Amino acid sequence: MRRRSFMKGVGVAGLAMSAPGIILPAWSREKVKVGCLFSSSGSMANIEGRLNYVVQMAAQELNRAGGVLGRQIEVVTTDPASDWPLYGQQGRQLLEDERVSAMFGCWTSASRKAVLPVVEENDGLLYYPLHFEGEEDSKNVVYMNSPPASSVLPALEYLMGDNGGRARRFFMLGSDYVWPRTINAQLKGYLQQKWGIEPDAWQEEYVPVGHSDFQSLVNQIKSFADESGEQPIVVLTVVGNSIPNFFQEYINQGISSLDVPVLGLDVVEADLEGLDTDQLVGHLNCWAYLQNAPGAANQRFLSAWANYVQENNVPFSPDVAIDPMVSAYTSMYMWAQAAEKAGSFDVPEVRNAFPGTSFDCPSGYKIKLTSENNYVHRGVFIGSVNRDKGFDIVWQSPETTIPEPFSPYI
Amino acid sequence: MRRRSLNMPGAIVRVCALLFLAASSAVAQPVSEPWDMAQVVKVWCSGDRDARIASFQSLLEDVVEADGPARQWAANLIVQYRDGNLSCAQDTGYIPAGDQFLDVVTGNLVEVIPDDAATPFLNIPLRRALSPFASAVQLVAAEAPENRLRAAQGLARTLGDVPPTLIERIYQQEQNNQVAAVLEGVLVPALLGSGDADAQLRAINTLAGNATRKSRATLDNFLAQEPAALSGPVRTAAESARSSVHWVIQVSEAMTVAYHGLSYGSVLFLAALGLAIIFGLMGVINLAQAEFVMLGSYATWFVQEALRALAPGLLEFYLFIAIPFAFLVPALVGAFMEWSIVRHLYTRPLLTLLATWAVSLLLINLVRVTVGTQNLSFLTPEYLKSGFTVFGEFSVTWSRLLSIFFAGITLIGTLFVLYRTRFGLRMRATTQHRQMAGCVGVSTRRTDAMAFAFGSGLAGIAGLALSTIYNVNPTMGTSLIIDSFIVVVLGGVGSVLGTALAALGIGQLNAIIEPLYGAVASKVIVLLAVILFIQQKPNGLFPRKGRR
Repeated sequence: MRRRSFMKGVGVAGLAMSAPGIILPAWSREKVKVGCLFSSSGSMANIEGRLNYVVQMAAQELNRAGGVLGRQIEVVTTDPASDWPLYGQQGRQLLEDERVSAMFGCWTSASRKAVLPVVEENDGLLYYPLHFEGEEDSKNVVYMNSPPASSVLPALEYLMGDNGGRARRFFMLGSDYVWPRTINAQLKGYLQQKWGIEPDAWQEEYVPVGHSDFQSLVNQIKSFADESGEQPIVVLTVVGNSIPNFFQEYINQGISSLDVPVLGLDVVEADLEGLDTDQLVGHLNCWAYLQNAPGAANQRFLSAWANYVQENNVPFSPDVAIDPMVSAYTSMYMWAQAAEKAGSFDVPEVRNAFPGTSFDCPSGYKIKLTSENNYVHRGVFIGSVNRDKGFDIVWQSPETTIPEPFSPYI
Repeated sequence: MRRRSLNMPGAIVRVCALLFLAASSAVAQPVSEPWDMAQVVKVWCSGDRDARIASFQSLLEDVVEADGPARQWAANLIVQYRDGNLSCAQDTGYIPAGDQFLDVVTGNLVEVIPDDAATPFLNIPLRRALSPFASAVQLVAAEAPENRLRAAQGLARTLGDVPPTLIERIYQQEQNNQVAAVLEGVLVPALLGSGDADAQLRAINTLAGNATRKSRATLDNFLAQEPAALSGPVRTAAESARSSVHWVIQVSEAMTVAYHGLSYGSVLFLAALGLAIIFGLMGVINLAQAEFVMLGSYATWFVQEALRALAPGLLEFYLFIAIPFAFLVPALVGAFMEWSIVRHLYTRPLLTLLATWAVSLLLINLVRVTVGTQNLSFLTPEYLKSGFTVFGEFSVTWSRLLSIFFAGITLIGTLFVLYRTRFGLRMRATTQHRQMAGCVGVSTRRTDAMAFAFGSGLAGIAGLALSTIYNVNPTMGTSLIIDSFIVVVLGGVGSVLGTALAALGIGQLNAIIEPLYGAVASKVIVLLAVILFIQQKPNGLFPRKGRR
């Protein structure tokens, strides 16, 4: 290749990738626009980036089946660059300039909090696909995933029970923002009120978002574990690339799940991609979907994603699926269903159509919106890291649970 | 049907296969084993926790009585089970044997296992119960001292339900000193609880020689007993052991902090060194520097993948084979960038800032579209796994040691290039006085280009060293760039030794503050300290001499 043409190619590729995504023209009046608020750069890019594609995949499926209310869906993507205030700014652009009918977005609670005033002011609609700390109930946000009462607490209860090894000491390590701090506040209340555990049985540490050097923290975990004879665990609420970095250091310092198991609340299959999971076997997570979930709906979803990745050259692995992907995918269908039911894309009318909308989620559960708030009945999975960079299902709830947005333990 | 995929290097696989054939001829033959395998498999596959533990226990008892081949057989079985390699099928189980599977009930080798065969899930309490039994069976069965040592170390983590009397018996017969020493540690709780003063003194001796937090806790618990339960000499011995253990732990904890500082400092140094040279020589603020680190990591990964495909035997050494590539790839990209962009902007520093930032975005996105955004998977070579204990609680991980080693080598190499080669001489001359150097015949333009390439290459070496500690993805550089600039400015622009000292200082400060006030506060305090320092010494630790 000649140098100049190479330069040109490089230039074009760079331009296409680095320009903000809001450059798609509204070339068809027939189309109905929805927006995506997921980062493709910065600390969250490796996991959030996938959600852009899965939303587009759902839109493509709906479009092939005739669209929503006879109109094709157009997905407008953005790149808030893992920078929390930018989510608010780009959300405003989506709502005010692009006039999107619904948005699918945010991973961290910090980014959701940045978008919250924007959607409320514009009476927009944000589908939020992550499990989170609860303590929030906006009529403009659809909380597609579970609050702690139906995700974190069952997992903690499992670890404290006979099958989980009777954990009694807790090292809480999180990124420093609202989700880890609220979760840990709830956990402490829960441990104190429900189990009568004293405050000297836990230690709470926070690192800046994007922190990568965990050697002294892992060392602190070691000495925390040695302090007492009772079984310690780590409740891990670090996010983004801090997760694999933490596990890398955990492996390097030679701690196994037999010594101190880690309950990784934001750990998904994708975080294990670069790690030697032979040494991580037995660490746990909890979500409303795991890739190993049984059922035909999951098989359909997995093969659809693999095909989509192949056909569109998506820069992510075709055989890794994570909960927020499924939740984002499901969001699109739930929105389409509500819009069909309402016969309109108008947010208030779509919202009135919410109660009773349900969907056969890839997780194997029939999930549905509650009638009193914008939360969704989801199932609960507890997973345990296996050798194949995935999670074995340790436990799953027999049915979907009733979401409790506000925790009694705080 | 499932097959195991072997991703070990071919040579190792072949050697293993040979060994395995030798071993499996003994394994596959129906030995005079005293076990009802169908029953064992049934319990291991579906029994409840207590039944399984009882089964491990009776297996261990039988192994002690059994002959050599039967012991081997049992050890192989329980280790495969522990490692999750036993597939349970109807009435039988299979473990991998080379590229075939061994039916553990009939002893036949089969090519494929039934579709419905599944690995039983072992939850944490089960694995915790199983692990000491697997180690104990290995300890009994293994003949090579290093295998026995590994088994003994497994037992030292926890003895679980393994009867101490058995360990006592093995300990009495143990020939190997190292293994015996580990077993002594395993026996401590039993000896302390025996009530026999001699045994207790022996145990206290062992604890004093093994200064860990666990030993200290054991001694504390021992001393907390009622005064009547302890004889005078035992109490004095325990008290003095406790204080010596405590002292060693204090020292070793301080050393751990110092080591953490050193290793974090070496990471900072590696990341900042290239920047120091480019910034120092040309005054170019290269915001794409961190992306050269990323390119170095990617070059390392490509070397690893190439070795995996072409010469699997060398895969274990990919980190060293990759050194020239990790240097050259970023160096070439750097040279190209200097030639195409930076040299046109030497007179306009603000524009270089923008241009190099654009290059940084370009490189990130180029890697993203060509390789993908996922974290790359690096093989951790056997020799880099885990680490070793120096003394007390001071333990060192090999991967961190490697990064310190790389930092040291890079520092020496750079100093050598700067002070012992013509190129270094020209570089120093140009740094000190550009016009004058030009007057005496130094081609400053060429020196600039070479220095830029050299600095980029050094960043690539940083990428190589970081790949075993951090995760590698297109945006890995972004978190490094700010720290690197702080280090360079603090060290004194263009001073290699200053960069090294500044990196060490910041690393050390971080390591000291982080355990006390947390990672968030340590960032803030370190930044404040740097600001105060720069206020007092605006030119850094080693200000540049000479005129511009």
